[in-house]
Parts: sequence; C-alpha cells; structure tokens
Amino acid sequence: MAEQTTQPPNELDRAAEEAGFYHEAALNAAWTGSRFAIGALAFLYGAFAFAYFYLRSINSEGRWKGSGYHAPQMGYGVTILVLVLVSAVVQYAGLQRIKAGAKGAWQAAALVALLLGTAAVVVQILQLLSLPFQPGSSGFSSVFTDTYPVLLVSWLAAMLWLEILVMRARPLTAISFLEQPPTYAEAFAVQRFQSSLSAFTLVWNFMAVVTLFFFLLFYVL
Amino acid sequence: MSIDIEPEKAQEPAGSGPIGPRLARPWWMRPAMHTGIIGAILGYFIGHWLGNFLSWEYARNALSDMNDFPLVLGYVIAVVGWLAGLGVFNDLGRQILGKPVPAAEEEEEAFGGVARYFRFSLDHKVVGIQYLVGMIIYFCTAGLFAMAIRTELLSPSYHIMSSSAYLMVVGEHGTMMMMLMSSVVLGPFGNYLMPLMIGSKRMAFPRLEALSFWLTPAAFIILLSSVLIGGFPTGWTGYAPLSVQAMEGMDAYAVAFGLMGISICLAGFNIIVTVINYRAPGMRWSRLPMFVWSMVTVSFLMVLATPVLIGGMYLLILDRTVQTANFVNTLGGSSYLYENLFWFFGHPEVYILALPGFGIVSEIIPVFCRKPLFGYRVAGAGMIGVALLSFFVWQHHLFVSGINPEMRPLFMLTTELISIPTGFIYLVAMGTFWKAKLRLTVPMLFALALYFNFLIGGISGVFLSDVPADTTEHGSFFVMAHFHYTIMGGLIFAFFGACYYWLPKMMGIKLNQKLGYLHFWTMFIFFNSTFLPLFAVGMAGQPRRVFEYATNLTPLNDWVSISSFLLGASILIFVINFIWSTVIVREREVANPWNSRGLEWQVAAPPPPGNFEHIPVVLSGPYDYGVKDAPAVADLHPPVGVVSASYASAGTASTGVEA
Repeated sequence: MAEQTTQPPNELDRAAEEAGFYHEAALNAAWTGSRFAIGALAFLYGAFAFAYFYLRSINSEGRWKGSGYHAPQMGYGVTILVLVLVSAVVQYAGLQRIKAGAKGAWQAAALVALLLGTAAVVVQILQLLSLPFQPGSSGFSSVFTDTYPVLLVSWLAAMLWLEILVMRARPLTAISFLEQPPTYAEAFAVQRFQSSLSAFTLVWNFMAVVTLFFFLLFYVL
Repeated sequence: MSIDIEPEKAQEPAGSGPIGPRLARPWWMRPAMHTGIIGAILGYFIGHWLGNFLSWEYARNALSDMNDFPLVLGYVIAVVGWLAGLGVFNDLGRQILGKPVPAAEEEEEAFGGVARYFRFSLDHKVVGIQYLVGMIIYFCTAGLFAMAIRTELLSPSYHIMSSSAYLMVVGEHGTMMMMLMSSVVLGPFGNYLMPLMIGSKRMAFPRLEALSFWLTPAAFIILLSSVLIGGFPTGWTGYAPLSVQAMEGMDAYAVAFGLMGISICLAGFNIIVTVINYRAPGMRWSRLPMFVWSMVTVSFLMVLATPVLIGGMYLLILDRTVQTANFVNTLGGSSYLYENLFWFFGHPEVYILALPGFGIVSEIIPVFCRKPLFGYRVAGAGMIGVALLSFFVWQHHLFVSGINPEMRPLFMLTTELISIPTGFIYLVAMGTFWKAKLRLTVPMLFALALYFNFLIGGISGVFLSDVPADTTEHGSFFVMAHFHYTIMGGLIFAFFGACYYWLPKMMGIKLNQKLGYLHFWTMFIFFNSTFLPLFAVGMAGQPRRVFEYATNLTPLNDWVSISSFLLGASILIFVINFIWSTVIVREREVANPWNSRGLEWQVAAPPPPGNFEHIPVVLSGPYDYGVKDAPAVADLHPPVGVVSASYASAGTASTGVEA
C-alpha cells in the first residue's frame, strides 16, 4: 500500500487521474484481447477444419476412412462434449449471478465449471490413450489425432485461467460486488476481476462451440 | 479527490508483491539468461530421455524410417526449461497459488543497469532493444549463410560443399531470414516506439510482449542446431512429402518455425490491443502516425495468419513423430494440404515483412521533405487494402504445383489487384516528394532506396502473377531476385533507415553519419549489383536450390557472388558503426535532431522510464510540416482533469463490466 499523503494535492489528483485512465484502458484491453484471442483460435482451429474437409473431399487413395475403419468411441465423445458444454453453461450462469452481485453463487458455479472442464481433459486423455485406430491408418484418423490434443491443451489452459480467477476472487469482499468499494484500489481490483471473468467466459463459450463443431465433424458426419 | 491506495500497485488481488527478497539473492540465482540456458540444457536431456522412454516400442514414422519423437520432445521441453529458467512462469505460478503479483512497473523499478537486457524484462523499451540486438545477430548469421551460398556458386562445377550441405545452407538462410525477420521491424521499433507514438506509458500485455522476444532466441538456436544433425533439404517452405521423409534436421525446422509463429502471434496481439486501447487522449485514428498504422495492419495479419502456420508445423511434427499421415498421399493424407496451410500463412507473411517498411518510410519522408504526408488516408487505405487482399492470393504459389487450372485466373486476378493498394503507397510518396526540397540524410536515402528497389520487386511480382510468366519462371533465380528486391530491397533497407532515424532517440547517441553514408551507398550499389543480374540468370534458366549450373552463366554468377561479398561488407560497416557509436564513442544526441513532429520526439533521448511525465493530450496530426500556424502536436503537461474527462464519458459498457 502506497500512501500518497506526502505529495501535493495537484499531483495527487493527477496520479489518480492517470491511474483511472490506465485502469479504463486495461478493462478495454481485456475486452479487445478476448475478441482477438477468439480470432486467433478460430484461425488455428480453422486449419484443422480445413484439413478435415480437404482430406475428406479428395479421399486420397480411397483412404479417408479406408477399409477396416474404426470410429472413435462415441461414449468418450459424448461424455467430453457434455462435460465441456455443461461447464460453459454453468460458468455463463455464474457470470450472470456475479454481475447481479452474488459472488458466492459464482464461486460455486466456477468450482463446478472447473471440475467439469478438468474432467473433460482427463476423459480426453483416456480416449487418446485407447484409440481404436492407429494415428496414420487413414486421413480421418490423422486429423482426429491432430485435433484433439490441441483441444485438450486449450481446455487445460482455460481451466488454468478459471483457477486463477477463483483464486483472485478470494480476497475480494462479497459486498464490493454489490456496492461501490470504499477505495479506488478495491474498486479497480473488482472491476479488473470482472473484466477478466467476462473475457474468460467469452473464450470458454467459444471453446465449447468449437468442441461441439468438431464433435459433429468426427462423430456425426 | 483523494486516493488511499495507489491503484496500479493493486493490479492483482492483494496488491503489490514483495520484490525485496528477490533482490537479496546473489546475481547468479536471479532468473536471467544464464538460468535460462541451464533450464534449456536440463530440459533437452529430460525431454530426450522421456521421448525415448515413451516411444521405445515404435521405431519409425510413415515415410522416413525414423523415430523423431525423443528429439522433438527434447526441443519442446528445452524451450519450457529455457522459459522457466528466465522466470517466465514465476508470475503465473504466483497467480495459480493465489499469491500477489507485482505490477510490471514495480518489477522494472527493482532491476536496472545492463543486466535488465539479459532478463525477462517487462519494460517495452528494454524489450525493443533486446529485439534490436537479437535481430541484428539473426540477420548477420543468415547473411553468412548467404555468403556461403554465393561462394559455392562461384563455379558451376568445382564444389566447396556437397549437394546436401548446399541445400542445408540454402534452407538455413531462407528460413532464418523469412522466419526471424518477420519481427525485424515490429520487434525493435514496434515495441519500443509504438507506445511513445500513441502517447502511452505502457503496453497492454507486457508479459506477452517479453515472451514474444524470448521465444526468438530459442527458435534461432533450435533452427541452427539443425546443422549439427544434417540440416533439412526443403528450403524455407518445408514442402511435403520431402519434409516428412527428411532426416532429423527437419524437426528443428518445424519446431523452430512453430515457435516463431507463436512469438509473432503474441507480438501482434499485444501491439494491436495496445493501439486500440492505450492511445492518449486526442490520439484519434486519423492522427495515428503511419508507422503505427503499419503496425496495426501487420498485427492483424500476425494474429490471424500465423495460427494457420502453427497448425501446419504441428501437423508436420505429428507426421514425423506419432505417425499420423496428414501429408502422406498413400495413407489418406495429401502433400497439397501442407502446401495450402503453409501458403495461407506464407503469403500474408510477405506483407508482414513489407508493410512495416512502408510504415517506416512514410514516417521518414515528410520529415526530410518538410511537407505534410500527401494523402494520409490513402496511405492508410493502401495498407489496409494490402493486408486484406493478402489473404486471398496464396494459391499463386501453387500455379505449377497441381492447383485446379480453373482456379488460376481467380488467383491471378487477386494477385494483380494487390498492386493497386500498393500503388496507393507509391502515390503518397510521389505526392510528398512533389516540389519538396529533399534533405538527403542517411535515413532519407534508405527511404528513397526502398521506393526504387520495391518498384523493381513489385513490377516483377506483377509479371510473375501472370500464369504464363509464372509457369516459365517458377523455381528459377528470377523468382529469387523478385522476392529479394521486395524483402531485402524493401524491408531491410527500411530497417536500416529506421536504425539511423530512431536509434538516436532510442539510445540517446549519435550514429556516425560518415559511416552511415558509406554504409548506404555501398549497400545500395552492391544490393542492385547482386540481385539485378539474377533476373537475367533466372531468365536464362538457372534453377534455385541447385548447386550446379550451365557454364555460360559463370561470368554472371561470379559477378553476383563478388557483389554479394561486397554487400556483406556493407552490412559490416553498419555493425562497426553500431558498435563504435553505441559502445565506444557514445556521443550524446539531442532530443529531436531531425526536428520531427512525431510524439516520440517530444520527450528526452533516450525516453525516461514511463515515457512521459504525464499522459499527453494530442492536439494535432504528426505531419503538419511547413503548415503555417500548425498547432503543437501535443500538450505534454495538460492540466489536471483533461485526461479524466476523456474517459469519464466512455463509461464501462464496452468492457462488459458492471461495477
């Protein structure tokens, strides 16, 4: 804590003004950054989707799936999809609750979302360790083996982010989500936390849509 | 208004962190390059051992009869160890454990002196200098490979290296230049100057910015390590199926290029978010310096195009390690898949290299013409147009590589269209030069040279975009001459122009002008003497990446080789000048030696910590040279209340925050 009582009043006001300016910029940066992160992720996963459709359409040597094709285990696929989707929905609902001032409700929702997302990571690892095909046995198996480890890493990174948010929320008082906190420092900390949470929720929702998209490609089409 | 707690020190939940204990440690225990190197070495051996342990039961991949898994895992964990040793994960670890994290400014205050250039610094100016030195080292290393190529080509039949060694050298040169030089402008000048130019005291994501730099030495060393294990035969493009079949050196290529892709993406992400959100009050989009516009457009390309490259390199690594068959035609994959993924990044990459050069010269020419930049909006539109169109031209690299013939006219058209926004940028230059009294300083000469060189590169590019011409010249030295004219003639000349223009600001020292003129004239003459004859060599049928050629082309090749050595010597003049001026003589420079209106020139040289004493309020554009009664570019000491008024009305709606 840096008490600024020794500075002249004008400089004190200026420090507060500049702090406010950069605080506002940081809030906007979280908003903008999450949108650009989604753009970058869309192009990354777009590369995998392109590989899927490209290899599927040319069916090189008749081996897009080939003879003796084994589909990936539907049970694993559905489980992972449900875990990720429910995690995203729970987190989204939690965000709405904390926006309404209920910090405790969000904390509970976040823990559930964290648990479900981590479970999705674990189940995905289990599936990759017991795939019914060799990675290079066909075009399909290759793209499947390409895509899911990257999704897994993305889910893991998202869960790490959520865990950090859960830890960040701990020292913030519940009342500060309902009323204007007494100091700028506390107000700024709460606002920054909320902007990070909004950014995370957006990215996690996007990841849920990506998971659904690839589920449709690999398990349904 | 009073304030109880300094808000910026409470960025994280529990306020500022205790940085005192870290300072109390002896220097060799503080995270820096040496701990990074130790981490990398340990990581490599752990990764290699782990790779052998995990993959002992499969011994070969689909095409190359090798198991590259241990090597790749060694590289990956070496990078993790390098970053861990540098302390990259320290703050992340603290956050995961719910411990306080010091604000970026607070960390920087704790470390000073030369040592900060060897550590994971969060100061954008330190990162800019780190990038500058790094890029000069990478550029000179890649240049030495070029010297080796030209030495081999002195004779059509007498060889100083084997054909495979020649391919290795060509690959190292091309990859190092194309991969690492992507950040040659954005890294040093973008990171250092952009916050100053927009009136900001900081970057949006300083940790990402620092990470983007520290990934580049890792990529450089990994790529260089390929030499120790046989190199790679594919050149910088890494085409499948050869890249899947190649020996272990190819793994170094794929890992290094993937890493550099991550670095580029992070750097662009940070820059663009900073420009959007951290501009000073009054710094409207219509007042942004053209250099910042070029950074914005390049950052868009970096953020959107490089993830596709990362994906492509990842697929290649999986083909070479866990035996997928993405690029193996006989197993359901396709080598064209690689070519498409690569060039979807690869062509925007060309503009990632070119656009910063345009930004630099657009910044330099109004200063030395003492005239406003002609057609400011046209220049911005040109950059945006080039950036957008660059996503729609990649198939022209595949005109003779199996593209559906019916698609050729479309991509020929889009490629030719890109010359229109490029022409805008030339129009802006011509308009600025019109009736101006040019001051032929060293930076201005480099800027003028860019327009000359890029014109040759651009016109030959339009020629090559036509399918019949491309079919004839594809894979020849003609193409090689074309892209050297655009990239070296454009980007590298602009880079050196920027060095002479901005280094006095960045380092507070004068660069020796006599050596500068000598550098320029030797570089300009020998650059053209090297690459202009290569158009003729290409037209005469000499193919790229082949170390033997027809005897009748010997005189031209010898001319080119000797010119290239002299070109190398001209770069050496710069290196000598750089070291002489910055390390030995260190003659102080005034704050604004060019009498420029740019906001970055309104502060001391070198800029103080925090860039500005107070957040400036921008009053006018940066190019009102010679305009009677032009207002000052900014108020550097605005009264209290002006800055807060600028954001008070903005509210919080755009953040999604309801405080």
